[in-house]
Amino acid sequence: MEHALDVSGLEPPEPMERILEALGTLEKGDYLRIMHRREPYLIYPMFENMGFAWHTRPGGPAGYEIFVWRQNDEAACAEIPPSRWSQPRKQK
Amino acid sequence: MQVNRSSLSLDQAPPISVPFRFFLTAPVFGLLAALLLLIYGPEALSTRWAPATLALTHLITLGFLGLIMCGAMMQMLPVLAGSPVPSVEWVTAVVHLLLSIGVLALAAGFLLGANALLHLALAALGGGFLVFIAAVAIALKRIQAQNATINGMRLAVLALFITVMLGLTVGAGFSGMISLGLLIPLTDVHLGWGLLGWVGLLVISVAYQVVPMFQLTPEYPARLTRLLAWALFGALMIWAPLYLAWGSGGLPRLAPDVWMLAPAAAYGLFAGVTLWLQQNRRRRVSDITLLFWRTGMVAIAVCLLIWLWGLIPAEAYRPAWPLLLGVWLLFGMAVSVVNGMLYKIVPFLAWFHLQSRQVALMSMGKVKVPNMKELIPDRLAQRQLYAHLATLILLTLAVFWPGFLARIAGLSLGVSCILLLLNMLQATRRYRQVNQELSEFAASR
Repeated sequence: MEHALDVSGLEPPEPMERILEALGTLEKGDYLRIMHRREPYLIYPMFENMGFAWHTRPGGPAGYEIFVWRQNDEAACAEIPPSRWSQPRKQK
Repeated sequence: MQVNRSSLSLDQAPPISVPFRFFLTAPVFGLLAALLLLIYGPEALSTRWAPATLALTHLITLGFLGLIMCGAMMQMLPVLAGSPVPSVEWVTAVVHLLLSIGVLALAAGFLLGANALLHLALAALGGGFLVFIAAVAIALKRIQAQNATINGMRLAVLALFITVMLGLTVGAGFSGMISLGLLIPLTDVHLGWGLLGWVGLLVISVAYQVVPMFQLTPEYPARLTRLLAWALFGALMIWAPLYLAWGSGGLPRLAPDVWMLAPAAAYGLFAGVTLWLQQNRRRRVSDITLLFWRTGMVAIAVCLLIWLWGLIPAEAYRPAWPLLLGVWLLFGMAVSVVNGMLYKIVPFLAWFHLQSRQVALMSMGKVKVPNMKELIPDRLAQRQLYAHLATLILLTLAVFWPGFLARIAGLSLGVSCILLLLNMLQATRRYRQVNQELSEFAASR
């Protein structure tokens, strides 16, 4: 199941706080879809430490979408939708 | 599905000591500049060529601005672009040491008129900056994604390289190491590249990220971000030879001055757009960094007015004109923005490193990581903002009444730098405390 989280309107470090909080609620088969204004390089090592895998792609309403799921959770990984945005969204 | 999991090193962010070493040293150099103004008083504001003025200027540009900008850049490359600076701890140790020695030797060399100290300064500053530029250039080259911030940073580093080369040349001429004509126009070109190139371009490229991110404004217009840094860099490339041609008698003064209208207008546009974006921010709460940024952007407008005033031929030769422009470019624009950014960067990094360690230790609920406002409370940052604004006003007035106000302005600058240092130390102390608690938690498991 998808858990959507839009952090694009938040001031740092709130996006990171909200993401870490949301990861705690993920069940088996769930993935988190984060909508972010930029690529959050700093949080990736935390995902790794917490046992999560992730996939980032440009696009979506905020500029970037990051999908996060538990490592080895094949069911969650299979549910992630294919990219609807092949090109980075142009800035308005 | 391509998963990015293994493509990243766990050491994405450099150790906290990398940026903090620069951020904690910079206010000390600011304090030395204040002491100098207190000791030398009116002499430091009589003409831009006075030894005390040269020492003061370089304590601020190299010691305060330079150190913070170098430290921030090594931190920002991995955060904003995912590209860490190679061998960052080694590079930090060398760059920090050489730049610190260089600034001290340069200031002392100017004050004492000691060429040996100036030569030491040239070697240390040249070496320090070249190591920094090489390391940062490698990190910038590795970045695959293209965006306005990265391109702007590349141009800013190129401008820094040109500034350093010109500075070394002028310094060698000034200290009698080489015989050099055009010393005065070359000095102006050196500071043109330093302030409008390195400082200005870095401020602009960082603004594209941090203004929308921290101040929750709309994005900068895409056309502006795509073109502005290139236009400014190109304009400086043409202005510099025009200015030198005037200096050697080959062109009338009007030629470089008219050309300078282009970069001046570009900076005015940047300041106007930034103020407009800040006016339209989504969360309308007062914020100290925002107020520092606004001061910086208003200062750009003030600089434009001062510069236009200097186009009146009789006025340009008054010693007050370049001093006033210098005060507003350095303290009004550059120091305001750089100082203001510290109130976001420092608490964020302290919070981030503690949070990362907490995640690694799985100590959530056991050790409380303070939030950013607890690391540096707003009232402390606000107090320093007021001291900074008082310094800016007093320095402006001291240009006209140096006998009466130069030392008072020095005192105000000293207070501002001490408050900034105390605020940085407050965040560092709080970080150490909580880090210690995390260590104790790790040991107790």
